[in-house]
Amino acid sequence: MTRSTLRPLLASVVAALALVVAACGGSDSGSSTGSSSSGGGASASQETGGKQGGVLKQLGSTDVDYLDPGHTYYTAGYQVLYPTQRTLYSFKPDNSTDPVPDLAASKPEISSDLKTITVKIRPGVKFSPPVNRAVTSKDVKYAFERFFSANVGGQYASYFSSIEGAPSAPTKGVKPISGITTPDDQTIVFKLKEPQAVGVAAALVMPISAPVPEEYASKFDAKNPSTYNTHVVATGPYMVKNDAQGNTVGYQAGKSIDLVRNPNWDKSTDYRPAYLDEIQMTTNESDASIAAQQVLTGSHLALDTNPPAAQLKDAVTTKKGQFVQLPGGGYRYFPLNTTIKPLDNINVRKAIIAAFDRDAALKARGGKFTGDIPTHFLPPGIPGFEEAGGMAGPGYDFLKNPRGDMTVAANYMKKAGYPSGKYTGNAKLLLIAANADPGKAQAQVAKAQLEKLGFKIQFRTVPQDAVYTEYCQVPKKQVAICGSAGWFKDFTDPQSMLEVTFKGKNIAPDGGNNNLAQLNDPKVDAAMDKASTLQGDARIKAWADIDKQITADAPAVPFDWDKTTIIWSKDVNGVGNPYYDALDYSFTSLK
Amino acid sequence: MGPYIIRRILYMIVVLLFVIAITFLIFFILPTADPAALRAGRSPTPETLKAIREQLGLNHSLPEQFWLYVKGLVLHFDFGNSFINDQDVRGLIFDRLPNTLFLITGAAILWFTFGVLIGTISAVKTGTFLDRATMTTALVAISAPVYWLGLVALYLFASDIGRFPILPGNGAYQDAHGFFAKIPTLILPWIVLASAFAAIYARLTRSNLIEVMSEDYVRTARAKGLTERRVVIRHGLRAAITPVVTILGLDLGILVGGAILTESVFGIPGVGRLAYDAIQRGDLATIQGTTLFLAFAVVFMNLLVDILYAFLDPRVRY
Amino acid sequence: MSAGAPELLTGAEEALSVEATGAEREITARSPTQLFWRRFRQDKLAMVALGFVILIVFVAILAPLIVKIVGTPNPQTTNADLTDDFGQPLGPRAGHPFGVDKLGRDVFSRTIYGSRVSLEVAFIATALIVLIGVTMGLLAGYYRGALDTLLTRAMDLLLAFPVLVLAIGIGVACSGKDGCAGGLIQPGLTVVIFVITLTTWPYMARIVRGQVLSLREKEFVEAAQSLGASDKRIIFKEILPNLVAPIIVYSTILIPQNILYEAALSFLGVGIDPSTPSWGAMIADATSIFKQAWWFMTFPGIALLVTVLAFNLVGDGLQDALNPRTSK
Repeated sequence: MTRSTLRPLLASVVAALALVVAACGGSDSGSSTGSSSSGGGASASQETGGKQGGVLKQLGSTDVDYLDPGHTYYTAGYQVLYPTQRTLYSFKPDNSTDPVPDLAASKPEISSDLKTITVKIRPGVKFSPPVNRAVTSKDVKYAFERFFSANVGGQYASYFSSIEGAPSAPTKGVKPISGITTPDDQTIVFKLKEPQAVGVAAALVMPISAPVPEEYASKFDAKNPSTYNTHVVATGPYMVKNDAQGNTVGYQAGKSIDLVRNPNWDKSTDYRPAYLDEIQMTTNESDASIAAQQVLTGSHLALDTNPPAAQLKDAVTTKKGQFVQLPGGGYRYFPLNTTIKPLDNINVRKAIIAAFDRDAALKARGGKFTGDIPTHFLPPGIPGFEEAGGMAGPGYDFLKNPRGDMTVAANYMKKAGYPSGKYTGNAKLLLIAANADPGKAQAQVAKAQLEKLGFKIQFRTVPQDAVYTEYCQVPKKQVAICGSAGWFKDFTDPQSMLEVTFKGKNIAPDGGNNNLAQLNDPKVDAAMDKASTLQGDARIKAWADIDKQITADAPAVPFDWDKTTIIWSKDVNGVGNPYYDALDYSFTSLK
Repeated sequence: MGPYIIRRILYMIVVLLFVIAITFLIFFILPTADPAALRAGRSPTPETLKAIREQLGLNHSLPEQFWLYVKGLVLHFDFGNSFINDQDVRGLIFDRLPNTLFLITGAAILWFTFGVLIGTISAVKTGTFLDRATMTTALVAISAPVYWLGLVALYLFASDIGRFPILPGNGAYQDAHGFFAKIPTLILPWIVLASAFAAIYARLTRSNLIEVMSEDYVRTARAKGLTERRVVIRHGLRAAITPVVTILGLDLGILVGGAILTESVFGIPGVGRLAYDAIQRGDLATIQGTTLFLAFAVVFMNLLVDILYAFLDPRVRY
Repeated sequence: MSAGAPELLTGAEEALSVEATGAEREITARSPTQLFWRRFRQDKLAMVALGFVILIVFVAILAPLIVKIVGTPNPQTTNADLTDDFGQPLGPRAGHPFGVDKLGRDVFSRTIYGSRVSLEVAFIATALIVLIGVTMGLLAGYYRGALDTLLTRAMDLLLAFPVLVLAIGIGVACSGKDGCAGGLIQPGLTVVIFVITLTTWPYMARIVRGQVLSLREKEFVEAAQSLGASDKRIIFKEILPNLVAPIIVYSTILIPQNILYEAALSFLGVGIDPSTPSWGAMIADATSIFKQAWWFMTFPGIALLVTVLAFNLVGDGLQDALNPRTSK
């Protein structure tokens, strides 16, 4: 039931390349917008007035990873973070490609040498009790500095490693960063070592930029691990309920979270309507289908994540106004390890993809309402998706039939040197799967598909968390096919969707490798290097071409462009935020 | 008696220390995720991993970690913090303990009462059709897997999904607040959990009682003119029930961790389920804490039962 | 409770058989074994159960043939067409009398083949438990001293460990790529057998040890010792034969218990390869959708119930035949 959405992290190699999402002053030219949401809660009506007041209850089985803005990195944490914290920039529910100024007063000013970013802080934003004072630029500076401390443990440091003075390793305690200066209370300046300003500015949407008051937090941050997590203060319309000392009494780890209105939030400084008075979240539901059932038939309820198949069916077929589908912003695939014989032969890989019943794999996750069958890698909602062919894709024959085509497959096997059209060798391929559904089910489908072509599979199930960190990401373990692989956005940029997973130079031989197929095509690498220096339309077209190239290299079997379905009761006006793929509390209202 | 108890307690401590040591060992061959890698986000630098390992205390050698753990346990009664969400393990366990205890105690009362009752009746009516029918039914109850019974019970009787909705189903336990509100939600779990045990206890009582009833002193009691009822209850049952009570104690000790199957099916957040989830996530601190606690429950009940036995049976001398 | 040789004093009338051989009438005593069989055969319920057990064993052995005759597909064949758009399986229909599971695999085939896993694991594990338990129990009970202390302590330790937690822990630990114990224990059935054996042998050993301790003091052992018989001879000739009855009795309890144990482990997702059909795993798969798809909780559940019940009834019959005092 848990949908742990791991968010991609740019490796420091990538950080050296420019990232263009919203160039200074210009508007984003992404033709595919983030609003491919379908279903009852149409995105257009999401911001047009709702009833003020009321209590929404969200039933869930996943707890936040952390409340601490410097530490959180998962969907569950983001869903609480964005309504309670004001990051410098943020995303409105109807547009997950163009960030809007939130704590910032205006768009970031980027110097012409791309080495300086100046951001103006909006006046009139206050911290919640017990801090109670106005937010200054120093609070944002402190938030960045504490992120790098081992006590806080920020999980995406590489996005900001180009800031002058940014530590290269977690610091003991909170150390100042020379490259971040605050000339006055409403201004913050980031000086970079390299011309990375566009990329760093784009990353300012992440939780790291939520302000943290030093005089209040430093005593918590002195502990290792920091205890600010249970003492967070808010700047958004809502806050985790706390007492006079700042203890987050509304947070019961593994049980529930209670969000109440932030009395110091000034509506006039914010674009959020914040209709609800209170949001009560449970985080320990033991049965997903019961929870989903309660949501669909009850009152003022919502579900934290995708409902199980039966309730999904119910919602989609009979309760049209009670759900929204958001693009998951990622792709799920079975990487074929190109360093292991016979998978090193491109014709063998094409045969495997051609024979694969990808529809069956998707069904193991819940069928066509949980995602679309991909024809390339960049998913809907990411710039470059349309340019790479959209839903129809570049049109390669081995990806044409989602149910698999044995004739095409046999032809490729023959080309690969197996005249019978099936594999006749002796290699036993290691397939690692999670030991719980849906990972377990989808891996069993993969096994069956491979065996169709005559491959012998060594099938191993391991705990969910271990699939990646102990096996698939460790080249030494020689995993031929990873049974549970996916890659999801941090924000909408094609480079971050393809580079870490398919660039030869990014293969990490000792572990933590994300190029699971270990694709090492010098032509692809060169194209990536070139494309990373481009801006605007040219950039998008270049990355779309790279997507086509990668697909032609057949490094993996893509089987799912994820869709997240969020359901709610019939007396709820649910609004989903496609940036973090969950219900947006600041925009949802009751009927 | 005193020195015996002290010896047993010391022995118990030694056993528990061994349990901790072996759990450490097992953890190290568990192919679960590196807890440091899990908390480091994606593509972490080696320095970040090192820093997190230090924070979790994983950079120490195995014996060192063992020593630190025992020290924390003995000096502060500190079970460490969960690797997953930093929660205090002791809190996690004690939070869930009441749920498990509620479940198994209620079931125990049910199965003991019914088991002994049915077993006694069967023993008295040995050889009759009633006796055979009861014992065979008991065997059926023992033969059915408890989780399957649970699913069938839910399918038939759960108020939200059952064919004959009369009792609260899965998940209802958590939604109910307060001791009395929780009782109806436990009726199905109690019945399901108790059925196999009731059958076992019925059979046990029956065979014990039959044996006791053929003893000389029972014959004497009858000869003295006591009513059959008195003979059975005051003389027969009293002797026959002692071993059953001791087994009850042992079963309760084991069930603190062993009720996981029932807990899973009915959505009751218990200690067994906590241990299971911890093992799947490779959360060493929680694995340690729960294993230790569950072992303690078993050993403690063993000790209690032995002491009780020594009290009840004057022939036992230590 | 005596589990030794059946008393000849009770049931005296069956102890003697009267045969007419021509003019003479011979009265011979029936041996304990003959008595035992006679009593067992008279127990109708146990005989029926024994018939069932034999039937189930045959089903397990002949599984491929049965599936072929009924015409359902191989238990491993997945079929996405048999699930609806939402991945929900379809119920019993022509060609699939028991319906299909989430991956479109036929439930009838998987139920039949599931018997193989249950019986294989239970038999092998029980055999190993008896082997190890009896050996350890014998050694501890007969030689006493340091060996006994060491073994008893080891057993105590194992028994203190919360059983399911230990089983799950080892199960997960040995499911990695290379298994454990240097690759000796591979993931799959081997792990399950290993785990069951490891956590159950102390019970057997304890019982055997207890029996040996009391037998040791008996006169016939003393007599043999004073005659100068070697330890080995005593163990094999005097003690072991007297252990046969309790060992058999306990084994007949163990087999159905181990069938349930394996099913419980599979239910918890430990050890078994998910494509291998196991009744416990099938029930586990059913938990999330049993409200809509009742069939794949029902059939493996009934199969388990019937199998375990049959073994239990046979076991009961055996026990009663060995110990007539507690018989009906």
